[in-house]
Amino acid sequence: MIKVSNLSKKFADLAVLKDINFVVDKGDIVVIIGPSGTGKSTLLRCLNYLETPTTGQIHIGDVTIDAVSHKAKEVTALRKQSSFVFQNYSLFANKTALQNVAESLITVWKTPKSEALATAESILIKVGLTDKLHAYPSQLSGGQQQRIGIARAMAAKGEVILFDEPTSALDPEWVDEVLAVMKQLAVERQTMIVVTHEMQFAKEVADRVIFMEDGYIVEEGTPQQIFEQPEHHRTRAFVKRALKQS
Amino acid sequence: MQSSFDLQYIIELMPILFKYLGVTMEMALWGFLFALILALGLALVRVFKIPFVQYIASLYISFFRGTPLLVQLFLLYYGLPQFMPIFIGMDAFTAAVVGLSLHFSAYMAESIRASIIGIDKSQMEACLSLGMTRLQAMKRVILPQASRVATPSLMNYFIDMIKSTSLAFTLGVAEIMAKAQMEASSSFKFFESFFAVALIYWVVVLFFTRIQYLLENRLNKAY
Repeated sequence: MIKVSNLSKKFADLAVLKDINFVVDKGDIVVIIGPSGTGKSTLLRCLNYLETPTTGQIHIGDVTIDAVSHKAKEVTALRKQSSFVFQNYSLFANKTALQNVAESLITVWKTPKSEALATAESILIKVGLTDKLHAYPSQLSGGQQQRIGIARAMAAKGEVILFDEPTSALDPEWVDEVLAVMKQLAVERQTMIVVTHEMQFAKEVADRVIFMEDGYIVEEGTPQQIFEQPEHHRTRAFVKRALKQS
Repeated sequence: MQSSFDLQYIIELMPILFKYLGVTMEMALWGFLFALILALGLALVRVFKIPFVQYIASLYISFFRGTPLLVQLFLLYYGLPQFMPIFIGMDAFTAAVVGLSLHFSAYMAESIRASIIGIDKSQMEACLSLGMTRLQAMKRVILPQASRVATPSLMNYFIDMIKSTSLAFTLGVAEIMAKAQMEASSSFKFFESFFAVALIYWVVVLFFTRIQYLLENRLNKAY
């Protein structure tokens, strides 16, 4: 289970996140939507402590961490509870697909190398990259790279996978293959928190949708509530615009 | 007095000088190895901004880049034993290797640091996001990538170091420059002697420049 309480983040004087509270149950797929620059990505990065929150507690799995009193050890422990899929893939450039996926098992979880590589291979087969096991990121398309990015996150044994606009940097032709992998994960009830502009994905796959604006959670609910009967006029305006575009 | 250029003398001198090339190369190789280890340590201390130690590293780098190598060698070999008796037993060869290591480590540290900083920040973030420590990330992902970037400039420092070993003759190390100097003073054929030693340095440098080129090609193919 994931619980975020009173989370806030300031960059110098600019408050990017303001009193964020939410809970995600095991197996839930939560999609965060909202206009650009409203703190969605910062929120996700705070969950992984890639950004250090200014205040608030984050609880994932069996780790609880407080922004004010956090220690380096707690940060590493928290990060082991989650894994991250980056907008720009951020694959290890010096490693093959297989090595990218096996890395966390070898370095973080101390799995024997042969076992780690076997696990990595089975995950890459699952995301449809059987023929690219030994390719380097620079030799692959954006869609293939992002599927490796997801495979790497799957291998990391975390409670939850955090997706930071996983399809935003992709050419349109590669978007569907990445979304297909994510949908497959959703079917398997992998806990996910997804920041995205893919409204169709949110509608179809999410158990819950969180609408953020201006550093606040404005409204949250089922896809049906958010997309069809939004309570807040801001949500209504955003959803209307977003659905028209897609 | 003007004398004619004696090619025969150069041809005879070459094999004599060649025997001393071993000492030159030994100094350069040991010097480079120690310089590399030191430089990596200094670079990491500065990249990780380790409290207090990073300022010592900066001071060290500033001093060894800011003063001439010859002065550093004299300070080490002739100066230091006066204050620290343990250095009295240090032979000239060791002093030269230590001096070259200290001097070049300062330059190489900056070049390694620049290579590390040049690696996209997202690579470190990806490591951290998986629960790796910064040190693990450095070892597994950042340094392997940075070493590719740093290799050309580190090879340049190695070539520069080979040439700088010639200063060791001022400490009394019997390397090729010292031998050329001795031969010149006994035959009075200064031009020929120093021209011969210049040719040897040149050929050695050409050889390592070629290796540098091959190494860079190989690294560029890697990924």
